[in-house]
Amino acid sequence: MNELDTPADLGTPTLSELEAEAVHTRPAFGEHAHILCDNLVRIYKTEGVEVVALQGLDLLIEEGELIAIVGASGSGKSTLLNVLSGLDVPTAGLARVAGTDLLSMTGKDRLRYRREIVGFIWQQTARNLLPYLTARENVKLPSRLAGKRARTAHADELLDLLGIGYCADRRPGELSGGEQQRVAIAVALSNSPEVILADEPTGELDSESSEQVFAALRQANRELGVTAVVVTHDALVSEHVDRTVGIRDGRTSSETLRRASSDGEIIAEEYAVLDRVGRLQLPRDFTNALDMERRVRLELERDHIGVWPDKPRPEGAE
Amino acid sequence: MNPFLLLRVHRGAATLLALLALSASLLVAGLPRGFEASYDAALHDIMRGSPASLTDVVVRLQPMMFQQNLKSEAEFTGKDRIFRAGLPPALTSVLDTGPGNDSHFAAKTFGTPVGGRVSGPDAPAAQYVELGWLSGVDKRVRYVAGGPPGPPAIVKSVPGYPNLKDVKRFDIALAKSASDKMKLPVGTTVVLGNSRPALARVTGLFEPVAPADRFWAHELNSIQITVRRTDADTEEQHVTALTSEASLRQLDNDARDLNYSWVIAVDSAAVDARNAPAVIQGLTEFQSFLTRTNAGSITNYQQVAGFAGFDLDTALGLILGDFLKRLATAQALLFLILGGLVVVAAGVLALAVQLMTERMRSALSLARARGASIEELVRAVVGTVGLAAVPAVLAGYGLSYLLPGPVTPIVHMAPLVITLITLAYAGGRVAVVHRKPLQERRDDIAARRPSPRRMTLEILVVAIALGGAYLLRDRGLTTGVAALGADPFLMMVPAALTVAVALITLRCYPYPLRLIVWLAARARPAVPFVGLTLAARARSVTALPVLILLPALAVSVYGSVVGATLDSTQRRAAWMATGADARVDRGAELPADVIERIRHVPGVRTVVPADRGVLQIGWGGKTAIGFAVDLDAYRRIVADTPLAVPPAAPDVPPPAVPVLVSPDLAGLTSFEVGWHVRMNLVKRGVITGGLAGLSFAENNLIVMPYDASKRAGARPYTNTLLIEGDGIDGAALRAAAGNRPDILVSTFDEALAKVDKSPLTSTITSSFVVVTIALAVYALLTVIIALVVGAAERARALSFLRTLGLSERQAASLTVLEITPLIVLTACAGLLLGLALPPTLGPGLDLGIYAGDLSIQAYELSLTTPILLAAGLAAVAVAGAFLHAVIGRNRSLGSILRVGE
Repeated sequence: MNELDTPADLGTPTLSELEAEAVHTRPAFGEHAHILCDNLVRIYKTEGVEVVALQGLDLLIEEGELIAIVGASGSGKSTLLNVLSGLDVPTAGLARVAGTDLLSMTGKDRLRYRREIVGFIWQQTARNLLPYLTARENVKLPSRLAGKRARTAHADELLDLLGIGYCADRRPGELSGGEQQRVAIAVALSNSPEVILADEPTGELDSESSEQVFAALRQANRELGVTAVVVTHDALVSEHVDRTVGIRDGRTSSETLRRASSDGEIIAEEYAVLDRVGRLQLPRDFTNALDMERRVRLELERDHIGVWPDKPRPEGAE
Repeated sequence: MNPFLLLRVHRGAATLLALLALSASLLVAGLPRGFEASYDAALHDIMRGSPASLTDVVVRLQPMMFQQNLKSEAEFTGKDRIFRAGLPPALTSVLDTGPGNDSHFAAKTFGTPVGGRVSGPDAPAAQYVELGWLSGVDKRVRYVAGGPPGPPAIVKSVPGYPNLKDVKRFDIALAKSASDKMKLPVGTTVVLGNSRPALARVTGLFEPVAPADRFWAHELNSIQITVRRTDADTEEQHVTALTSEASLRQLDNDARDLNYSWVIAVDSAAVDARNAPAVIQGLTEFQSFLTRTNAGSITNYQQVAGFAGFDLDTALGLILGDFLKRLATAQALLFLILGGLVVVAAGVLALAVQLMTERMRSALSLARARGASIEELVRAVVGTVGLAAVPAVLAGYGLSYLLPGPVTPIVHMAPLVITLITLAYAGGRVAVVHRKPLQERRDDIAARRPSPRRMTLEILVVAIALGGAYLLRDRGLTTGVAALGADPFLMMVPAALTVAVALITLRCYPYPLRLIVWLAARARPAVPFVGLTLAARARSVTALPVLILLPALAVSVYGSVVGATLDSTQRRAAWMATGADARVDRGAELPADVIERIRHVPGVRTVVPADRGVLQIGWGGKTAIGFAVDLDAYRRIVADTPLAVPPAAPDVPPPAVPVLVSPDLAGLTSFEVGWHVRMNLVKRGVITGGLAGLSFAENNLIVMPYDASKRAGARPYTNTLLIEGDGIDGAALRAAAGNRPDILVSTFDEALAKVDKSPLTSTITSSFVVVTIALAVYALLTVIIALVVGAAERARALSFLRTLGLSERQAASLTVLEITPLIVLTACAGLLLGLALPPTLGPGLDLGIYAGDLSIQAYELSLTTPILLAAGLAAVAVAGAFLHAVIGRNRSLGSILRVGE
């Protein structure tokens, strides 16, 4: 029940009560979240046709979290990542990363944001690194671009941390795909960002390399406390994160939380996402199985809400 | 982002950029030097070809009062100092002050007849001997008999001339040749003048040390005699004798008419195309200085009546003015083609920069995403492009110093402009492309719509270009240049027109293409359809190549049209001047033996005799030009020339003579004229526009058959021969005519050479050739670079098609088809623009002075050369595309498919 809707039977509030209520600030939605997307909309206009890539997406990510975002092709996950990385500007809504409002950034803010707050990794291994620089030089590049003194020791530390210290003097052409992606992670971490974003970082890799790359990501997350958001198709990856957010049709549709049980087994629980106005996406499998279309019937029970297809209930179904 | 590293990584593109920068810099710095050198060469030719008496600055004074008499060299020197002090700096800088220059002073009498001889042989004719003192003449003559003249003396009495008492006697020296012709040997004493006579005694004979010395151009009358014919048989011999400086005391304006002159030598090598206007201005200033000096020297009332002032006597201003008029046209023309070249060179450089930035694009995008600011990217790219281009531009600039020619500001400016354009384009392009990093990635879905701002800008450019073209036609490019200077706005008009046409081409280019694609879509083969569709979708490749190919073609076609017009007008002028392959003229009748000898000169095939003269119409004072020639025979010998000969007048029964008359005489039907004999003429036709080649007169002209005199009872007369033949040598004709000065021989070849070898004409034609070749090379490069820029994308598209079964041959033809519509449409637009430019600019650009002063009425639209040029350029460009496709063929499918992944 909303606090403002004071029921009449509790009596009319006094003026002082109302004043106290007015000055009392409630915590806003996701106020303390490290990454906040509230009702995010992104529309591409193409020759008179509008493509709605994000249609009111809500997402909260806490500091130091490692989450995976999964979704079918065209569901909007890359658009979300582009918005979070500051490469794209949403059409409407709210997007905030580490206290920076992504909608109201000036060009200068955007540059500072890229230099200090985010680091990211693309799917194409070749695209992450300059082919004519060594791994170490690649790692030092962001610092130099930001006009800071690029410390070789720091670069080497990062490479060592990710288990590729031996690659420091090699050029990308001399590295395997997995090594390249791990160097890319080191590059993304080079400016000590608060958030790293990875777009299908293991998309081009075999499973063994994938595992190494993902281990490196997790290593960075654990050791450096950096918040990591990974867009992936890879089931292997999504199984190794604390939380997996599913995106469908430009909205977050489901979340899978994983926790270790008392006997050390990982228990995954899938949740549907209920947004702030009470919308809920039912998994397509569920709706298909029960042949649900257009309308459903809801029934409020004591501890849950029942959802029934809009057809006569078979006799004795209860 | 270390520019050195980027340069090393992209060394291929950088090398191309460097080569282009070098060639562009060499061309834009070298060509103006060459132009200036040829302007100067032309001016020096003119100056050298003009005698010193025309090009030197001469101050003259004809003393009228005794105060104005100068009695010694020192007085002359004093005046000279004043004059030189009054010379404006523009003139001082072109004076010849070197040793042996021809500056000098002279005091000469004029109009002094020889009244008689006291001693010596008899005079062969009426003679005039002037007394002349020339400063510094001792070093310029060598005495071959006697010695230099001594001081004057007073002679008490003269034998044979009892009236002469106490007369002055001047010692004089004569040129040896003059002495021989006038029979004035050493020792001869003559009486000079009829009133208040003086004596002159020949004491020496000399020869000029260097007769070709410019000094003698002023004093020609001292080293050779002038023969003046007063009537048929009597001659007057004129000569100026040298006398001593001491004679100056006795020479005054009292007894003899005197002329003083101060020759201030001008160094013809020091005058060039750039300081010529200042020199003309300087002459005006000097003239006003002399006027002030004259005004200042009048101190009392009587002086005004008999005053004679210092006069400036030089043709330098006229010569330079005439030259500048020619120069303005040449400069305007060369500015046009140089402008076209700069536009094209800058365009190709921009394209090379585009290639380079395309190659760097992924690295720059990555750096941008990793936190590089726009400034950092711009700095990196400008640094890299600068490292490639600046040394090359400097090298080209340095190499241009190997070319002959003076250094003008444009030599420094043009390479600088090229560099700035290159760097600005590189920086601007990077800034625009990477301002929004995501834009490039969404190129696939977001087609850009033409922005209203851009449309407005384009419409503005087109409007300005059209307005400029109208103004240009209206006001002319070269009119008033001498007074007002060239109008930079009007000079920009051709470039603006080109850009306007390029913009229109870019806008309209899809429409014809759409039609072709529509047709191709209905045809069976897939390759044309896919190729043309690719062409219709190509965006990045289109704008720059159009902007390069179009001016390249327009300038080449313009050059060829102007060249062809100039050539044909020059030929027409030469035909008008001679009227046949060769022509022999004489004032009097040509002797029969001369005619006979001319008939046998090698190469002569046909000789058409003609007679021309002034005839009297009726018995009154009205005269007309008569021309007796067999028009049918004449028409046959000029059949293949631009000369049009009217049909001969239909015959009438003798002794009447059928004639053609000019329109002003059309009222006469049957009339009598007096020429060699009295003749009765019957008008049988009217000729308008004169008789091209034979007579420039359009009025008062009567053309009759050659045998007109014979019909009237006399014999035919001949004073003109019209000759047809091959390879007739003017010298052989002259020799056959006896090398007589009164027989004038001219040949078509000589007349043509005189017109087309005239200074600056060859500069214009050769510049067009150089620029056309450079433009063709640039056009080829444009296509290749444009293709290389889009190579990765095209390779991927092609390789996908090849996995669907496209053969290698089809892939190559696809590439060619993709670029061909652009080239063909641009070639058509360029051809049309090139053809339209001459009539558009025609009235503004008077080429008449290069065509024997024959005005160019209409440009010769002979389409062969322009179409060949356009087709050639288009073929070269398409060949470039084919070459690119063939080279690309060698890569394996696998490697192509991985491109861009």
